[in-house]
Order: sequence, then structure tokens, then C-alpha cells
Amino acid sequence: MAKLIGGLGTSHVPSIGAAIDKGLRDTPDWKPFFDGYIPGQEWVKEHKPDVAVVIFNDHGNSFFLDKVPTFAVGCAEEYRPVDEGWGPRAIPPFKGAVDFSWHFIDTLIESRFDPMICQEIEVDHGIQVPMELFWGRPAEWPVRVVPIFVNVIQYPIPLPSRCYEMGRVLRQAIESYPTDERFVILGTGGLSHQLQGARAGFVNPQADQAFLNDIATDPEKLASMSREQYVELFGSEGAELMMWLVMRGAMDRDVVVRHKHYFVPASMTGAGMIVMENKATASPAVAA
Amino acid sequence: MEEKPGQDRIPDTPLFDRKRSLGGYRINKMAMGLSKPENREAFKQDESAYLDRFGLTPEEKEAVMTRNWREMVRLGGNLFFILKISAVDPVRITEIGAHQAGMDHDDFLRNRLGKKV
Ligand SMILES: [Fe+2]
Repeated sequence: MAKLIGGLGTSHVPSIGAAIDKGLRDTPDWKPFFDGYIPGQEWVKEHKPDVAVVIFNDHGNSFFLDKVPTFAVGCAEEYRPVDEGWGPRAIPPFKGAVDFSWHFIDTLIESRFDPMICQEIEVDHGIQVPMELFWGRPAEWPVRVVPIFVNVIQYPIPLPSRCYEMGRVLRQAIESYPTDERFVILGTGGLSHQLQGARAGFVNPQADQAFLNDIATDPEKLASMSREQYVELFGSEGAELMMWLVMRGAMDRDVVVRHKHYFVPASMTGAGMIVMENKATASPAVAA
Repeated sequence: MEEKPGQDRIPDTPLFDRKRSLGGYRINKMAMGLSKPENREAFKQDESAYLDRFGLTPEEKEAVMTRNWREMVRLGGNLFFILKISAVDPVRITEIGAHQAGMDHDDFLRNRLGKKV
């Protein structure tokens, strides 16, 4: 059966992609941010996942307000970068793990989760930036992807606990998938930021740091928080952090944190990264 | 679309709820259009005519044409859509933030984002 080898969390701020595009990686504003991801990139290189399940939100690029799926799952052969207003970014298209996507959709429906099914869809920075942060800029991506889109823009948005529950179903789908492929799950978004209203520019480094601890040690606490609490603590757009719970819900209660990084502000956002493995199956090399 | 004061439970934090989504539909649809190159060109050539295509009210048009971000958001514009205006008429996201916060840009960077400027 397929195997879950790690849970990764990361911000997906669009300015990160723009900074790479403009060659600003090593400027004083950005270097400390990008350097913090080096251990995450090394982890990925060492553990060689075959498939990356990426949970993110579309930011008014692939979906407009005419149709807003609460949860959508991609099952396309290929996902091209969407034109967000500046033209599609020059990064390679992502190859889809089509067969697993369908298996996951089956498992979801059988578990009373009813996602929108997307056979043809372009993708925005929500998935692009996390892929670039962990895999850099290869000529071709060395993993196939399964995009999970979560609506965190148009209210009512889903409950944090629902995201966590979806993670459990994802785990079940991976462990019932009859190949020996290695899976990672990327929970993306956040951390604290607010783009709208007079509180624009709100960041909360203390809450962000606490989140990076709790996501490993006390995910139930994060799953039981209300949407309003997320908005209050992390800002109106920072509430998207709840998407990390899909990733965390797929992992065991006990995890080992391999790497962690926090930097503020990346553009207008508290930016963070985490790499976790299930304790029971953690790789021995660094398990000391 | 009038905003009742105190309606948002978290101060100065407009949630994109049913009321805002309904009220802001025209502005957001217009802005969503800017993800097509031909529409960006049309916006550049004749902004007023482009906005008319989406049936914007005079109030909405005024907010867009004066780049009054705070007002666009008050009218139901959502940043993820209206940000596309900055692809045609460049402005930094931090300037949009500072404008909504009613702060000078440097002051915004220092006091909201904790940057040393
Ligand atoms: Fe996002």
C-alpha cells in the first residue's frame, strides 16, 4: 500500500513567487526568508516523495464568485499556471496523480464528504509557491500532485474541524491505495495576515509561533477553534491557516518535527514552514 | 449598500459574507475580467468604458477610477479580485494596505508590519 512519509506546512504568499521571478532571492528583504526553507528542501530531496497532495485555496483566479465549491479536488492530467492578472508565470505545469485523485474522491464520498470534481483546471500561487519553496525551480516537477481547493474567501467558509476530519479521510485513502508510492501532504496558507479593512497589515507573530508549536503537539485544540477565533488571531486572510489541519488530520497523534521556520513579514504576512513525520514511522537517520 | 457600524464582530475586519458578496458582485466581476489580456488592454485604453461593460454604479465607478481601495472594499470589493487592478496600474500591496489603514506608507510598514524603514 502507499505510504504517508511526511506532513509539510508552508505559507503561499504570492510575493514569494514574484521575488523568485525578479531574482530577489538573495536581497536583504528576502534572503533570511528563503534560507529558512533550505532544510525543508533537503528533507524533500532525501525522502523523495512520489506524490504531493497540496491543500490550498484559490484566490479568485480559477474560480469566480459565480461558483464557489467549499471543497474541490483536482483529477486532471496536468495543471497549468493560471493568469492572475500579470500573465501565467513561467513555471512548468504540474503533472496530476490522476488515479489516486479518483481514489481519493471515491473515499471522500464514501466517507460523506462531497467535493467538487475538477478534471480540467488551472492553478494559482496557492499551489505554485509551496511547490517552489520545497522543490525549487526544476525543469520538470519530480512529484505528481493532487490539488485540494478549500474555499476560505466567500462566507460561509468551512469549519476548522471539518478540515481536520477531511485529513483523516485523506489518510485512509493513502493507506488503501494499492501502490508502493510515497506521499507527502502540504497544508498551505497563512500565517497571520490581513489585506482588507482598517486592520489591514495586522500580523501576530506570537500567535503564529504558538500555531507552529500546536500544529505538532496539540492539533485538536486548533481543530476545535471557531472560524471567528482564526480571524481574530490570524487576520481575515490569515484564517486560511485552518487548511493546515487537513494535512495534520492525516497524520498520527504523535509526530516528530524535523524542521521549522518562521519569518515576518514576507510582504504583509507572517510566513512559516514546518516538516513533520509520524513518530511511529519516522526516518531513523535523524530520529535520535 | 450601506454598512451598519458595529456589524463586524472583529473590529475593522470586513468578512466577505453574503451581503458583501452580493453588493460587490459588479466590482469583483469587473476586476476578475482583468485576468484576460484583452480586458487589461481595454481597461488601459478606456477605463470608463470598460467599467460600464460591467454595469458599475456611479459610486462604484468613482471608487475604482480614483483607486479608493478603502471605498472599493466598503462597497463589497474583495482584495483578491480588485488587486488585479494593480496588474494594469501598478501599486504595491502594502500601499493598498496603508491606504485602508489610513496610514502613511512608511508608518504602515513600521507599525503594522514591524519593518525597519
Ligand atoms: Fe491563500
